[in-house]
Amino acid sequence: MTTPAIELVGVSKWYGGFQALKEINLSIAERERVVVCGPSGSGKSTMIRCVNQLERHQRGDIRIHGRAFGGGARDDEAIRRETGMVFQSFNLFPHMTVLENCTFALTWVKQMPEAEAKRIAMSHLERVRIPEQALKYPLQLSGGQQQRVAIARALCMQPRIMLFDEPTSALDPEMIKEVLDVMVELANTGMTMVVVTHEMGFARQVADRVVFMDQGEVVEQAPPEEFFANPRYDRTRMFLSQIL
Amino acid sequence: MAPDHTPAPPLVFTPRPSAPPPPSTVGVMGWLRANLFSSVPNAILTLLGAYILYVFLEAIISWALINAVWDAPNRRACLDAVGRSGACWPGVIAWLPNLIYGLYPKDQVWRIDLGALILVLWALPLFLPRVKSKVAIGLTAVLVYPFLVSYLFLGGEKGWIWMVLVAGSLATFFWVWLTAISEMRTGQGFIPLLVHTLAGPDPVPERARLVRQLAWAALFVTALLIVSRWQLVAVPTRLWGGLFLTMVISGIGITFSLPAGVLLALGRRSSMPLIRGFCVAFIELFRSVPLITILFMFNTMLPLFLPVGVEVDRLLRAIVAVCLFAAAYMAEIVRGGLQAIPKGQYEAAAAMGLGYWQSTTLIILPQALRIMIPAIVGNFIGLFKDTTLVSIIGLFDMLSMARAVGEDTRWLGLFIEPFFFITMIYFVFCFAMSQYSMNLERRLGGGQRR
Repeated sequence: MTTPAIELVGVSKWYGGFQALKEINLSIAERERVVVCGPSGSGKSTMIRCVNQLERHQRGDIRIHGRAFGGGARDDEAIRRETGMVFQSFNLFPHMTVLENCTFALTWVKQMPEAEAKRIAMSHLERVRIPEQALKYPLQLSGGQQQRVAIARALCMQPRIMLFDEPTSALDPEMIKEVLDVMVELANTGMTMVVVTHEMGFARQVADRVVFMDQGEVVEQAPPEEFFANPRYDRTRMFLSQIL
Repeated sequence: MAPDHTPAPPLVFTPRPSAPPPPSTVGVMGWLRANLFSSVPNAILTLLGAYILYVFLEAIISWALINAVWDAPNRRACLDAVGRSGACWPGVIAWLPNLIYGLYPKDQVWRIDLGALILVLWALPLFLPRVKSKVAIGLTAVLVYPFLVSYLFLGGEKGWIWMVLVAGSLATFFWVWLTAISEMRTGQGFIPLLVHTLAGPDPVPERARLVRQLAWAALFVTALLIVSRWQLVAVPTRLWGGLFLTMVISGIGITFSLPAGVLLALGRRSSMPLIRGFCVAFIELFRSVPLITILFMFNTMLPLFLPVGVEVDRLLRAIVAVCLFAAAYMAEIVRGGLQAIPKGQYEAAAAMGLGYWQSTTLIILPQALRIMIPAIVGNFIGLFKDTTLVSIIGLFDMLSMARAVGEDTRWLGLFIEPFFFITMIYFVFCFAMSQYSMNLERRLGGGQRR
């Protein structure tokens, strides 16, 4: 059996006395596309943020391509670089142009010459269809454009795994589609993706598996057809009836 | 006949063009109406304000300019001529060199002028277009210039350490201008240009390094030859004074306080308890004590703790006190700026694989410093004016020199005019700083307003 891209074994996390994650076990294969859904406070964001260690878990193991976090800051940073992340609030750097947002980590983290970094950045900006905005500042763009820049920025670092934490929740309805289209295209290239979202249409269209979480636990997981047609748990049914 | 079932064609929505605003709200008349005469009480206030302004300005101008005496041997002559209705400027004019240079020997004053000129020349490339090494030049202006200028001001016997330091900083000054000129003319730095011409366009690393070292050695030797011919008379710091002293103390305080404040603020947010504890203790200690107390402490108590025979210059003690005090204040300003940066910025930087120092210096600080500009410059202005407190420990800054005018037997009792004069000087400096900060905000804010 090949090594899974992401493996969570008995992962627990507490905020003070509140347990946000309760012994999560989850294995995601390479090239797999997983959609994580669940009510707010179910621990889905915490879980995805543990995968690249923006939040530290307190018990259990998280392995990325077989390498576990926790072997020192240097190693953790190297493992983290296998993943790219897109946030709900975009988190672009407002003091840099769109292009600089993309080239920045290439020149400073990967020590790449500027010309090459620019070439890579422009190719990814073309991929998300906004090369013409390269010299603008992020706050001059619409929400949907900003989020596409954020995707391009994450892709520039050539991650093997892309993490999306509610990428469309902060967008106006008219802009959700342009972001989802880019994500669908990315899925078609065979990228390993973990997407926390409530866009069930997206889940149906591209997910290999839907994971439903509540109260810090994985309640059930299944391929989308099965998940939407006959969920096994009453909690899942209730959730689906609320959002569909 | 069958009813027609084809749906009606959709209505086409064309947004209408914006109409011009009503004429009474634009132009000079619109502005006057909106801001000065919007209602009867407002109109009355406007007229009253204009009247008060007129009375004040008229009084000041007639005292300072129209009725003023410009030429008189002493204060008696002034009083005989115009009484108290006009200013007596000859006293200020006679004392002008002292107001600016303190008691610095008259035949040595050129050293202060030269020091100021070098500073201007050193910083000038920062404002020239096409100069690319601005960061390096700016850093040398802060880190290297002080060595050159402190010898220039202090003078005296040069030990070999002084000799090397002064020659090194002079060589750096040469480098700054050679770089600026060659970057403006060829687009390439001075040293890279030398490497390019002497070692070929694609040189072996060893050869390039050799050229680089030789270039620096040549600059250094030239500087050393110049410096070894200098022998400046020693001017002890107790003779320093006036605007010159004010500039020295506040200049050092300003350049020290910003980096020190940034480090203290970062330390206060650090997760390491020892560093955090030290920073919190330092900041709280220095912020809870008035500057005047700190100056006293450093002046009178520090010598008690030092071993016998070690004496720290009085000016140096004052400068250290001002620096530490300013750093503590700056730290809290910077902390405020750091807190205004959303957590998402740290997370995005971390998610892209940046370490702590990279994300702090490249992502967080540039944004934080930009929003902090008004507060930082406000602090600088405060510091500039706070230096008047050093008169309390016997240093003759501009304020104490102004007071000395009225104690001179020729100009006995002449206090208002010198104070009026230095008020103007303080105003010019502080206003310039505040204008520069607004200009900086505008330039750095391009396209990034939230």
